[in-house]
Amino acid sequence: LEKQESDEEEDEEEEEEQGALRWKEGLQQRAAEAFLRQQEAAPNLRKLVYGSVVEAKEEEEEDEEELGGLFRVSRPQKSKKVQTNALDCSRFQPDAGRDWDGEEMLDSIRDCFVTGKWEEGQDAE
Amino acid sequence: MASHGLTYEGCNFFRQRLVLSTLSGKHVKIKNIRSRDDEPGLRDFEASFIRLLDKVTNGSRIEINQTGTVLFYQPGLLYGGSVEHECNPQRSIGYYLEALLMLAPFMKNPLKANLKGVTNDPIDPSVDMLKSTALPLMKKFGIDGESFDLKVVKRGMAPGGGGEVVFTCPVRKTIRPVQLTEPGKIKRIRGVAYSVRVSPQMGNRIVESARSVLNKFLPDIYIYTDHMKGANSGKSPGFGLTLVAETLNGCFLSAEMSSTPQGQGDPVLPEDLGRNCAKLLLEEVYRGGCVDSSNQSLALLLMTLGQQDVSKVLLGPLSPYTIEFLRHIRDFFQIMFKIEVQKPLEDERKGGDKVLMTCVGVGYSNISKTVK
Repeated sequence: LEKQESDEEEDEEEEEEQGALRWKEGLQQRAAEAFLRQQEAAPNLRKLVYGSVVEAKEEEEEDEEELGGLFRVSRPQKSKKVQTNALDCSRFQPDAGRDWDGEEMLDSIRDCFVTGKWEEGQDAE
Repeated sequence: MASHGLTYEGCNFFRQRLVLSTLSGKHVKIKNIRSRDDEPGLRDFEASFIRLLDKVTNGSRIEINQTGTVLFYQPGLLYGGSVEHECNPQRSIGYYLEALLMLAPFMKNPLKANLKGVTNDPIDPSVDMLKSTALPLMKKFGIDGESFDLKVVKRGMAPGGGGEVVFTCPVRKTIRPVQLTEPGKIKRIRGVAYSVRVSPQMGNRIVESARSVLNKFLPDIYIYTDHMKGANSGKSPGFGLTLVAETLNGCFLSAEMSSTPQGQGDPVLPEDLGRNCAKLLLEEVYRGGCVDSSNQSLALLLMTLGQQDVSKVLLGPLSPYTIEFLRHIRDFFQIMFKIEVQKPLEDERKGGDKVLMTCVGVGYSNISKTVK
């Protein structure tokens, strides 16, 4: 019985090894696919703007549940409501993930200023 | 123009819909306005906005149902002229002014609007910000002249208000197409640190802290301190900062921050406000483009209404408000923009992705403008 178990373990190990190697298969192809996917993501901005929008309608039927067969509980769906009845404001909220205390972030915009590096052929007048 | 109307739902993008309806002449119906809210229907500030719209037009038909959840609007002629309006203090004057900026060039008579209410609050773009970014942007489209001005007469902070601004704008028959593809480098930063009904020292404290962040990039920074007193200081205390970065090509990027309205949440220190506002400006620079993020829709509207020629404008990432505006432009004017994403080069240190917007104007001409 012990032998059997050890055999199985060996089998598993073998499988694992194979599995470990399997991810290496077709790396190039998968990289190419990922690249293409990214390429597609870029022009999708037009689709995002003009594509068929999933209408954020509040579905009347779904959020009504019967209570004792007589009354209906109306629960407004918060997430969907945000779209149609949200605050009408033109402000673009900043990305909270960016840390403007870090040198890295500050460096990423350095050339937007006249004090930054200039392209060839351009010069501060 | 086409007489068929459009139907929308919900109170979001309220101003866009009414403004585009007025310009296109298409009537609009908005249903389910906060229909499932505890207090359904239009709010006071929206009613105030409708009244303002009624004042600048002639012959508009507005119908609201009893609960205020359905609005029907048939636009009249954009008449303009001298208008006085008490803006509801739930929203700042910026909320109303943003719409007026879009309508003013297309009126029969030059507009002179005297708006009273809240000049600065943390929600909407303030009058200072619109003055320093929206006006120069409109000048690029050929809306110019001595009478083109926005003047802050009295400052009124939220929640009390009591401020007053005067906006004057000339009328144009046609709008010039633009090519704004190169923002250029930022040459200087200007700003206004305002304070009312608090110590005048607040302004200086804001300026100090904002400079400490921005001086890492530019030496040419000047922030004015604006302390209004007495009758010109409105009803509520408060302070704030508006920063504007100007590029060599005359593009303006701005950021602003205002103190928490009295009695609404934690108070802020002027030092924190200055520093955070400076960081907001850096964020705006990172987004970049030729147009400030809160003026994207104004630029796109003027491109749409331009002469039948190609207009190009480079923007930063599109804000959710702008994306909805683009959809509305398609609904009202059947114009779709060409949208191209420009990724920054490997060794470029100019912030994030930019978006190049291209369209051919509809050749809108202001037929109601009087010929002199």
